[in-house]
Amino acid sequence: MRFEARRARNDDERILPLINVVFLLLIFFMLAGRLAVSDPLAIEPPHSASQGEPLVRDVQILIAKDGRLALDGAVMSDAELGARLAERMSAEADATYSLKADGGVEADRVIAVMELMRGAGVENLTLFTVPQGG
Amino acid sequence: MRALPDTRPPPRLAIEEHATRGGRRSLIGLTPLVDVVFILLVFFMLASSFLDWRTIELNVPAADAAAGGEALVVEVSTDGLMVAGEPVTLDQIAARLGDAVAAGLDRQVVLRPVGGASLQRLVLVLDRLTAAGAADVSLVRQAAP
Repeated sequence: MRFEARRARNDDERILPLINVVFLLLIFFMLAGRLAVSDPLAIEPPHSASQGEPLVRDVQILIAKDGRLALDGAVMSDAELGARLAERMSAEADATYSLKADGGVEADRVIAVMELMRGAGVENLTLFTVPQGG
Repeated sequence: MRALPDTRPPPRLAIEEHATRGGRRSLIGLTPLVDVVFILLVFFMLASSFLDWRTIELNVPAADAAAGGEALVVEVSTDGLMVAGEPVTLDQIAARLGDAVAAGLDRQVVLRPVGGASLQRLVLVLDRLTAAGAADVSLVRQAAP
């Protein structure tokens, strides 16, 4: 009897714990996550023991698992990438380059893209990885 | 005539109840608040990324560096490793690098994937070589047949 009376008293009070938890989750995701523009190609980066700092690079090249390329968010062909890179190099010679490649892509493909970059005049670049055990 | 004031509910109580109800309503409604918070929660869950990025510095290979007379050539296939033409395991690679240095070669290593080895496999070997003290690792492609 008493129980029922209590339940009927106030609907709002029953969802207060729910709101508390949802607020905590919201604050957690706001603080712990990092908002970033999502890549046009799905990339599952290779695991590595390397400890290099992920600094921001000027130009980012993506290589998907099926070998497709993207430069700064736009999917393009090999020839187009070479042309764009050459253009970029002539405009800004000291730009920094990063490479995000899928761990499952053939290594030959990655090296082919690196040779393409060499052809456009890029001297060195940074490969993005994630730590092991993730 | 006289019965009228008696049948009325006590006025104070009625006002009190109205005040508390009105007070609750005039605050932010709980249901819309929860709706908005849920939407924000879903947005942050979907939009935020928790990947912990690390980087490896790579030298872009010159197309003609493949010859590499002085360098130690490491070939990486999907299920094995060849150092200077001999099969080795992943754990022996540090010793082989040490031998090469002792034999007078500098620590330059040419890493060449063969037979469709994946980037993950290449990075694994690259990690081992870096841990073993290889200073200058260059990546080359298998010469097209």
